[in-house]
Amino acid sequence: MSRSQGSSLKRKRPDTNTASQPLLDAERVLYDLIRSKEDMGIWTRDMKRETNLPDNVVTKSLKALQVKKLIKEVVNIQSKGRKHYMAVEFEPSKELTGGAWYVEGNLDTEYIKILKETCVRVLSKLKVATAEGISESINKTGLCATECSTQQIAEILRALVLDNEIMEVRSSGSGEFSSIPIGAVCYRCTNKGGLGGGGPTIGAMASIPCGVCPRITQCTPDGIISPKTCAYYTKWLDF
Amino acid sequence: MTPEYGIKLAVHLISTDFGDHAAKVCDCLLRKGTLALDDIVRTAKLSPQQVKTYLKVLIQHNCVQAFAMEHEGGCGEGPVVVTQYMLLFDNILHRMRFPKLLAIVSKELDKECEELFEAFLKHGWLTLQQILDRVPSNQNEGNCTVQDALRGSFTKLVNAHYVERCPAPDPFLVPPDEEKTPARKHDANSAKAVEELEIGEQCDIAKATPSKAKGFPVITDTCGDINGDKSIGNPPGVVIGKKRKQDALKLDTESGAASEKDVPWRANYKELVCHLRHKACIENVRARLDSGAAIVLSAMLEATQSAEKNVKEEISVLLSISTITEAVMQSEAGCSMTLERIRASLVQLGCHPNGVGADRTYNIDLKKIIELAQNDEVESMVLKRYGREAHRIFRLLSKSCCPLETTKISDTTFIEKKEAAKILYKLWKDECLHMEKIVLNESRQSQFMLWKVKKDTFWRHILDEMYHAALNLSIQIIELRRDKHVGALRERDVRLAILLQASLMKLDDALMLFHDF
Repeated sequence: MSRSQGSSLKRKRPDTNTASQPLLDAERVLYDLIRSKEDMGIWTRDMKRETNLPDNVVTKSLKALQVKKLIKEVVNIQSKGRKHYMAVEFEPSKELTGGAWYVEGNLDTEYIKILKETCVRVLSKLKVATAEGISESINKTGLCATECSTQQIAEILRALVLDNEIMEVRSSGSGEFSSIPIGAVCYRCTNKGGLGGGGPTIGAMASIPCGVCPRITQCTPDGIISPKTCAYYTKWLDF
Repeated sequence: MTPEYGIKLAVHLISTDFGDHAAKVCDCLLRKGTLALDDIVRTAKLSPQQVKTYLKVLIQHNCVQAFAMEHEGGCGEGPVVVTQYMLLFDNILHRMRFPKLLAIVSKELDKECEELFEAFLKHGWLTLQQILDRVPSNQNEGNCTVQDALRGSFTKLVNAHYVERCPAPDPFLVPPDEEKTPARKHDANSAKAVEELEIGEQCDIAKATPSKAKGFPVITDTCGDINGDKSIGNPPGVVIGKKRKQDALKLDTESGAASEKDVPWRANYKELVCHLRHKACIENVRARLDSGAAIVLSAMLEATQSAEKNVKEEISVLLSISTITEAVMQSEAGCSMTLERIRASLVQLGCHPNGVGADRTYNIDLKKIIELAQNDEVESMVLKRYGREAHRIFRLLSKSCCPLETTKISDTTFIEKKEAAKILYKLWKDECLHMEKIVLNESRQSQFMLWKVKKDTFWRHILDEMYHAALNLSIQIIELRRDKHVGALRERDVRLAILLQASLMKLDDALMLFHDF
């Protein structure tokens, strides 16, 4: 094959994976491009833009490559609607799969819930601990089926802080913090959360109908929606 | 500028206590700001006599402050002194919380002081003569004893700073200096608010004095023993002027005592609000941390209360560890606390020691505690209104110092991106969040949404909703009183009244967090 035929039609090279798979020129171009993206894969629109191949040629070639089991379609968690392809020898990267928290393109809510409950249980026993301490405790006692990294546990703890079940504090190095270096970030259960918690404190606005009313902006003292005619008030006072 | 429902609530409170005409005067002063008599007559569409009558009532009840100020005359005339009237919005809202204010006095002092203080709340301005005249004239025997007891209760209230001298009825004030606030010139509402604050401060200084007073104000004391518990280390006295200086009590001559009896006194709301602020901080710490930390905070605030210069003090006064320990151990709840436990509580409270060794001192960041309490209130409302996931997103954005992108929010909160976007949009539509769209032309992903909580805007919105909710509760309470049923239903009415009143007081605690503290 002549080199003068342009960059879009590269000369066929012998390839250990494809020795037995003769590829058409367009298929070769696309396959080389997809392989070059390794575990990140590539979106079909980007393929079309980079190769300048017509749409129908790209579609036909991709189908052929899939039949020949050279490429696979993967889900990109960032944009689930897009067709994303990868060479079969690679595993999708974390950016595509969403990392440890995603399974088949969906958030593994059950796994996250189990980890959250486990972390709270461990922290209730330890009283005060760092993310490393909690991670070690979980992995040592085998409370979870799969081993979790400290990074993963830290992400779970961050979500628990947002849910007000635990709080983040800094070690003072003394008292209950004596085993933790001064200034290190650690966690403890809140009064609201934790195994012995009494539940979250309900604020003043949250405990009256007006505080959670979807019609508050339309409510006026003498209007159609008013405290005198309010159905939510009637229900609240009906005991 | 007072939020719309703040105005409606204030007008409602005035209307309930003093009638619709007084409410009209209140409404026009709230909407138009400080006005002269002619302007009020024109705006409220009442006769001059009516306006004068209701202004007098509102002044008597500490809801309006009159003052005289020099203005440029028109058409080449010389300067003119005009009496203007300023509505005291905070004092009107205090009318809603009289039971709370009374409870403070009841807890700190005796029953007689409580009854006398209730008279101040009911009648507004009272002179010592009017207080003494409360003794029925047919009680000839023991009249002097009763009067002495009243005088004693009055002195206790003054010493505890729960009552203060009223400002002069019509003080002459210097116009606020526009040069001092050049930045405010661009914002008419802020400029007006600053001007009214300066006028209020000047009025505070221009306290009423007896027409022939000589030297410091005095109170004739024939009781002998004065309760000086509230002013440890200070001579018992009265509050005068801007600073909480105290003057020594002196026995006076007859003529001085006679004129002193005509000086009006009123409830000192600032002191009472300070008490409520401390109480709110202590309760927040108790709920958020534990009772040990609450006891230490309470002792520290008790020890530094007299040194506080204003209600919204951000940082408490410095105290040494020995002073803190002494204060804690003197309290009933803290008598069994060890030094180590006290130190641990100080760490929990976030108190960092200043200095080294035995000279170490500690103070409390009260502003931080109030902010945490405000966050708790708002987050509770977001949780109830929008659900757990929205609450998680809101807390993430509240804690973040910069705007966050949708994907980052989704990843951190473990919420599917599509669902997170829906929640963010809903919160944005309801003015909880601020959204910024970033468009990048060169990247595959051409559009990013950045989100953040815009605290000042959202907090103002929350405050207005609280005023609205308080107004609705007040209306419900009045409706209940109107629809009284006899017989079997009365017990239910009593339960409803208790629920509504308790809810209003709890809401008022939250309102004070955002407005007064």
